[in-house]
Amino acid sequence: MSLFFIVALPFFGALLPGLMNAAGRSATAGVTFTVTLAAFIGLLTNLPAILAGDVVMARVDWMPALGLNFTLMLDSLGFFFALLILGIGLLIIAYARQYLSSKDHMGEFFTYLLLFQGAMVGIVLSDNILLLLIFWELTSLSSFLLIGYWKHLPEGRQGARMALTVTGMGGLAMIGGMLILGQIVGSYDLSVILQNRELIQADPLYVPALILILLGCFTKSAQFPFHFWLPHAMAAPTPVSAYLHSATMVKAGIFLMARMWPVLSGTPEWFVIVTSAGLITMVLGAVIALFKHDLKALLAFSTVSHLGLITMLLGTGTAFGAMAAVFHILNHATFKAALFMSAGIIDHEAHTRDIRRLGGLRTLMPITFMIVSLAALSMAGIPLLNGFLSKEMMLEEANHTVLFNSPWLVPVLATFGSLFSAAYCFRLIGHVFFGPVRDDYPAKPHDPGAGLWLPPALLIIPVVVIGVAPFVAEPFVKLVTASVLGSAAEMPSAHLKIWHGLVPALYMSIIAVVGGLVMLAIFTPALRIWENTPRPEAKVIFETIVEAAAKLAQALILPLHNGAFSRYAAVGTITIVVAGYYAWTTGTIGAPTHALQPADPVLISGWGMLVAATIGMVFLHRNRFLSLILIGIVGLMVSIGFVFLSAPDLAMTQFTVEVVTIILMLLALNFLPNRTPIESSVLRRVRDVGVAAAGGLASFALAYHYMLRDPVASSISEFHLANSYKGGGGTNVVNVILVDFRGFDTFGEIIVLSIAALLIYALTETLLGGPVGAKLLNRRPDQPRAGDMHPMMMVVLTRGMMPVVMMVGFYIFLSGHNEPGGGFIAGLIVSIGMVMQYMASGFSWASARLKYPYHGVIGAGVLVAGFTGIGSWFVDKPFLTSDFTYVRIPPFEKFELATAALFDVGVFLSVVGAVMLSLESFSRLARRADAPQVLHPMDIDPSREDLKEGV
Amino acid sequence: MIGADIQILMPEILLAVYAMGALMAAVYTTKDGMAPLLTWATSGLFVLLAVWIGINGQGTNIAFGGMFVDDGFSRFAKIVILLSAAAVLLMSESYMQRRGLLRFEYPILIALAVVGMMVMVSAGDLMALYMGLELQSLALYVVASLRRDSVKSTEAGLKYFVLGALSSGLLLYGASLTYGFAGTTLFAGIIEATANEPSLGLLFGLVFLIAGFAFKVSAAPFHMWTPDVYEGSPTPVTAFFATAPKVAAMALFARVVHDAFGGIVGDWQQIVAFLSVVSMFLGAIAAIGQKDIKRLMAYSSIAHMGFALMGLAAGTAFGVQAMLIYMAIYVTMNIGTFAFILAMERDGRPVTNIDSLKMYSKRQPLRALAMLVLLFSLAGVPPMVGFFGKFYVLRAAYDGGLAWLAVAGVIASVIGAFYYIRIVYFMYFGEEGEALDGKMNPVLWTFLMGSAAVMLIGVVNLFGIEPIAAAAAATLVN
Repeated sequence: MSLFFIVALPFFGALLPGLMNAAGRSATAGVTFTVTLAAFIGLLTNLPAILAGDVVMARVDWMPALGLNFTLMLDSLGFFFALLILGIGLLIIAYARQYLSSKDHMGEFFTYLLLFQGAMVGIVLSDNILLLLIFWELTSLSSFLLIGYWKHLPEGRQGARMALTVTGMGGLAMIGGMLILGQIVGSYDLSVILQNRELIQADPLYVPALILILLGCFTKSAQFPFHFWLPHAMAAPTPVSAYLHSATMVKAGIFLMARMWPVLSGTPEWFVIVTSAGLITMVLGAVIALFKHDLKALLAFSTVSHLGLITMLLGTGTAFGAMAAVFHILNHATFKAALFMSAGIIDHEAHTRDIRRLGGLRTLMPITFMIVSLAALSMAGIPLLNGFLSKEMMLEEANHTVLFNSPWLVPVLATFGSLFSAAYCFRLIGHVFFGPVRDDYPAKPHDPGAGLWLPPALLIIPVVVIGVAPFVAEPFVKLVTASVLGSAAEMPSAHLKIWHGLVPALYMSIIAVVGGLVMLAIFTPALRIWENTPRPEAKVIFETIVEAAAKLAQALILPLHNGAFSRYAAVGTITIVVAGYYAWTTGTIGAPTHALQPADPVLISGWGMLVAATIGMVFLHRNRFLSLILIGIVGLMVSIGFVFLSAPDLAMTQFTVEVVTIILMLLALNFLPNRTPIESSVLRRVRDVGVAAAGGLASFALAYHYMLRDPVASSISEFHLANSYKGGGGTNVVNVILVDFRGFDTFGEIIVLSIAALLIYALTETLLGGPVGAKLLNRRPDQPRAGDMHPMMMVVLTRGMMPVVMMVGFYIFLSGHNEPGGGFIAGLIVSIGMVMQYMASGFSWASARLKYPYHGVIGAGVLVAGFTGIGSWFVDKPFLTSDFTYVRIPPFEKFELATAALFDVGVFLSVVGAVMLSLESFSRLARRADAPQVLHPMDIDPSREDLKEGV
Repeated sequence: MIGADIQILMPEILLAVYAMGALMAAVYTTKDGMAPLLTWATSGLFVLLAVWIGINGQGTNIAFGGMFVDDGFSRFAKIVILLSAAAVLLMSESYMQRRGLLRFEYPILIALAVVGMMVMVSAGDLMALYMGLELQSLALYVVASLRRDSVKSTEAGLKYFVLGALSSGLLLYGASLTYGFAGTTLFAGIIEATANEPSLGLLFGLVFLIAGFAFKVSAAPFHMWTPDVYEGSPTPVTAFFATAPKVAAMALFARVVHDAFGGIVGDWQQIVAFLSVVSMFLGAIAAIGQKDIKRLMAYSSIAHMGFALMGLAAGTAFGVQAMLIYMAIYVTMNIGTFAFILAMERDGRPVTNIDSLKMYSKRQPLRALAMLVLLFSLAGVPPMVGFFGKFYVLRAAYDGGLAWLAVAGVIASVIGAFYYIRIVYFMYFGEEGEALDGKMNPVLWTFLMGSAAVMLIGVVNLFGIEPIAAAAAATLVN
C-alpha cells in the first residue's frame, strides 16, 4: 500500500468514530480498530521491500519554496516504529473498548486517538524534516486533547499543562534546529541530509542546531532535566498512558535521535550531552520509581528510566550502542505496554492503584499475576526474558564508555540504575501480588474478561520468545540497526544471544539483580530514609519556575511599563541618542566646509543668558511667574539668534509668537492650583538630568556638525535667491517663498491655523456650557485680588499705542515683499495691539467695541486668499500663480503691485482672526463668581458719575 | 497628465471623498443614528476597493512624478489593509453599539486612517510618506480616545498622541536630513545619492526615519505606548490597532529601506535586526504573567512585529516576501483572536481578565477549540499557519546571513509559547471560577471560526498567497 495511505488512513479514519458514536460503543471501537488494522496491513505489504533492504519513497510537492514537501520514506527504522505504533495501537484500542466506562464519550476518545496515531506514523515515515516537525507538534496537540480527556480529575490539570508546555516549547526549539540543518545542507529532505555528515559537523552552527534538536528530543522523551512532566501526565486514562507515555509518543524523541544518528552523533558534544542526560535520567528515574506507591507513577518513572537507558546507548555513538538501543526499544515496548495495561486492569478491578492498599492478588487475579510477573521480570533483567538480553548489551556498552575521562563512572552508574530497576520490579510483583490477601480492597478484585487481559497477554509472547530464542529477533534488529547507522558506521559483528561467557556485564547484571532483592528486603527502612530526605518535587519546582518566571517578567517589565509617561519618553530619548551615536560612529564624517566664526563677546553673553535662563528655569520652576519670565528670555534669545543668522523674518515671527504665547500662559496661570506637585526623588531627578543632558548634548553635536558643513553641493536657496526678484517681484526671499513659490503651502497653513482657532473656540464653548463652566463660575480665588484690576496708566498707554501699533503693522505688511515683514507678522503685531486693549481695559469693554466677529475675520482671510488663487485661473494659469506689475500714482513714487500682496491680505486677516479668537476663547474661561462684569475701562475714573457720588 | 495621475490614485480619492461625504451626510442628518449604516457601508466599500485593486491592478504605475507608486507591493499591502479594516469594522459594530460608543465619526475616522495607510504604502517620496502617515496617525489618535468618559481611554489617547507626535517629529527630522543630504525627497533620487559612500547626514536621516517607523510598528524599544493604548482603548479599536496600521507601517518601513536605502543594506540591516531581536524578547518575556488579555495581545503584537522585522532585516527579496506573508497571516490570526476577545463578557460587561476563561472548553467546546487553534497559530506551533509565517522569516534571516537572529527568534518563540499555552491551559483545565456569558454575536462567531479555519485549511497552500507575495516583493527589491 502506498505510504500516503498509511499516513492518511488514521487522519481520515478520525472522522469515523465521532460519526459512529450513535451506533454504540462496540461499533465505535470496531471502526477505529478496522482503520488501524487497515493501516497495519498496508504497512505489512511493504515488508518484502524492507526485508530486501529497499527504501520505499513517496513524494508530493507541497510548498517547494519553503522546502516543505510531502515526502515519505519507509526504511527499516521507520518500519520498525510504525509497526510498534500500529501494532500496539490495535491492542490498545481493543483494551480501551473494555476499559472506558459507559459514561465516557467514546467517539471523542477514539477520534483523538486516531489523530495521534496518524501523527505518530507521520513522524516515523517523514522524509522531510519540516513535515516531521508538523507531525511532531501534532502529536503534542492530540496528546494534549487525550490527556485532557478526563478533565474532571484535578490532578490531571497540572499534568496536562506541564506536558503541553514542555513538549510544545521543545518542539518550537526544534524548529530552529531543523532550520539550521536544512539550510546547511540546502535541502530539508532527510534522505539528503543523512548523506551530509561531514558538511553538517563542520558547520559553525552545528552546536546550536544540535542543542535545539536535542531540546526537542529530550522534552518529548522526558530526558533529564525535562523528565518531570511524564509521570504527571499519567492522570490520563490508562490506555492513553500505555499508548502515549510508554509505547509511542515518548519514543518520538528517541526515534529522532536514532534517525539523526548518522549525521549528528560521533562528536564530543553529542556524546557528552546525550550520554550524560541519558545516564542521569536512567538512574534518577529508577530510584524515584522504587519509592512510588501509585502503580502508574511507578511505571511512569520506570519508563523515564528506560528512556534514559536508550538515550544513553544512542549517545555513546558506537554501532554496538545503536544496536543495543534498537533492541531495547523493541523489548521495552513489549513489556512496558503489557505492564501499563495490567496496571489498568488492577485499577479497574480493585479500584485502587495504591500499592500499599494492594497485596495478595496472586490468588485473586492469577492471569494478571502471570502477565505482570513475566513482564516485570523481563524489565528487571532476568534471563530467558527479552529484557535481560538488551540490559546485558547496555551494561556491556557502558563498560566501554569513558565519560569525563573516567572509565568507571558510566559502568558504576549503569549498574546502580539497573539495581534500582530490578528492585522496583521485584517490589511490583512482591507488594502487589504476594503477601496476605486483604479484606479491605476498595472493590473485590478478580480477573477481568478476556477483552482486557488478552491485549497484554499477547504482548507477553514476544517477551518470552525473544528471551528464549534471541536469534529470532536478530535479523530484524540488525536490519533496523543498519538503517540507524546509515553510512556513518559499520554494522557490529556481535550477535544476540543469552550466554556471552563470563563477561563483566554478567557480573554487573548479577550485582543488579541481587542488589535489587536486597533492596526489596530492606524496603521499609529505605522508604523511611527516602521519605525523610528532602528532595525536589517536580510539580513544586515547575510551579516555582512558572511563578518565578512570571515574577521575573513582571519585575523586568513593570518598572518599564508602569504607565509613567516620563519613563516612556526617557526610553525613547535614550534609544534615539544611542542610535544617533551608532550612526555617528559608523558613518564617514566629511571635512568641515565652513570655518568657525570668531566668538563675539555680545554673542557669548547672549548665549550665556540663554543657558542661564534655561538652568534657572530648572531650579525655579516652582515659581511660575518667574518661570514665565525665564521662558520669555529663552524665546527672546532664540529670536536674536535668528537675527544673527540673517533671518529677520523668522526673528520677527518668533518675537511676535513669543509675545502671544507668553500672554496665553499668563492666562493659564490663573487656573493652576496653588500648590505645585510633589518633587520627584533625588534619584529620579538625577536620571532625568542624565537623559536631558544626553539629549541636549546629542542635539548640540548634530547642530554643530551641520553648521560647519554644507548639506549638498547645490542648495535650494540658490534657486530662490536667483528667482525671487525675477519671478516673484520681491527681494525678501522668505516672503516670496511664502506667498509665491510655495503659496499653496501657505494657503493650507492658514486654513489649518483657522481650523485650530475655531476648534479652540468650540472646545471652550462646550467646556463652559458643561459642569466645568459651573465650577468656574463658583470658583473663589484663594488669594486676595489686586485692588486695581485695570490701572489707569496701562489704559492710557495702550490706547495711545493702538494707532501706532496699527501703523507699524501696516508698514510691516507693505514692506513684506522686499524687506522683512509680511502678512503673517503684520497679523501678529496687530493682534498684539488688540490684545493689549483686552488686558488693560478689560474683556467686556474691549469686546463691546468690537465690530466684526473674529469668525468673520478668519473666513474673510481664507476667502481672500482663495479667490486670489482662483483669479489666476482666469488668465489660464495654475492656481495661485502670482503676477506683479509696477504702477505709478502721482504723487507717490513708482511702486510694485503684486497679486501676492492680495494673498498676503488673506494671510493677515486669518492670522489676526485666529490669534484673537483663540485668546478670546481662553480668556472667557477667566469668568468667575466674584469678578464683576466691568463695563468701564478704568476702575478709578474721576469723570464717572457713580464714583463722583461716592458709591 | 494629471488625469492619468488621478486615475492611478482613484481608490484613495474615492475613499477620501466617501469619508468626507459621509461626514457631511451624518452631520446634517441623524448624526449617530447613521453610525450603524455608515459602519456597514464603509466596510463594504473597503471590500469593494480591495477587490477592485486586486482585479484591476497591473504592473507598476507611477503618479505625480514618482511621489505615488502603485505596484505589486503596494497593492498587496493595500488589499490586506482594506480587508482587515473591513473585518474589524464589522466586528466592532455590535460591541460599540451596545456600549453607546458607536458614534458616526468612528467609521469615518477609520476610513480616513485607511486612506492614510494606502498613501503610506504607495509613497514614493518622503512628502507623500509623511502625508499618509500623519493622516493615519491623526485619525488613530482620536479613535484611541473614543471612549471619552473613561479615564483610561483618554489617557491612552493622550499618551499615544504625545509619543506619536514625538516620533513624527523624529521622522520628520530624519526626512529633512535625508533631503538635505540627498538633495531630493524622491526615493528614486535618494537611492542614487546613497550609491557612493553614504554621508553621515544620510545615515542620521536613516536612523531617525527608522526610529519613527519603529514607533509606528511598535517595535521595542519604541513600543512603550503599545500596552497602555491597547489596554485603554475600546476593544474594537485595539483590534484595529493590532491589524491594519501594523501592516501599513511595516510595508512603509520596507518600502523606505528598500526603495530609498536599498543601496546601503548593511547600514540599516543591523538596526532592523536589533529592533527585531529586542522586540521579540521583550514581547515574549513581558507577556508572561499578564492577566489582561488586551495587554497580553499588546506584548504579543510587539513580539510579532519583531518576527516580521526579522524578515525585513534579511535585506533580500525573500525577506520582504517572508515579511508580507507573515503580516498577512498575523492579521488573520489577530482578527480571529479579537473576535473572541470582543465576545468576552459577563452580564453584558466586557471582561479582559484571562482568569475568566477557566474551563471555557466545557461550556463552549467549539469556540474553545477555535481559540486553541488561533493561540497555537500565534505561538507558531506547526501545523497551524502561524508556523509557516515564522518559518518564512526565520529562513529569510538565515539566508540573509543573520543566523544568530534566526536562532534568537527561535528562542524567543519558545519563551513566547508559554503564555499562549497558558491561556489554552486555562480554557481546558483551569479551576472553574466566574464564567463568561455564553452569547456571541453571529458576526464575531463567523470571524472567529473563519479565522481558525484559515489557520487549519491554510496549511494546504497558504491560499496561494506565496507567489503573490513573491511577486510583490520582487517589485520592491531588485
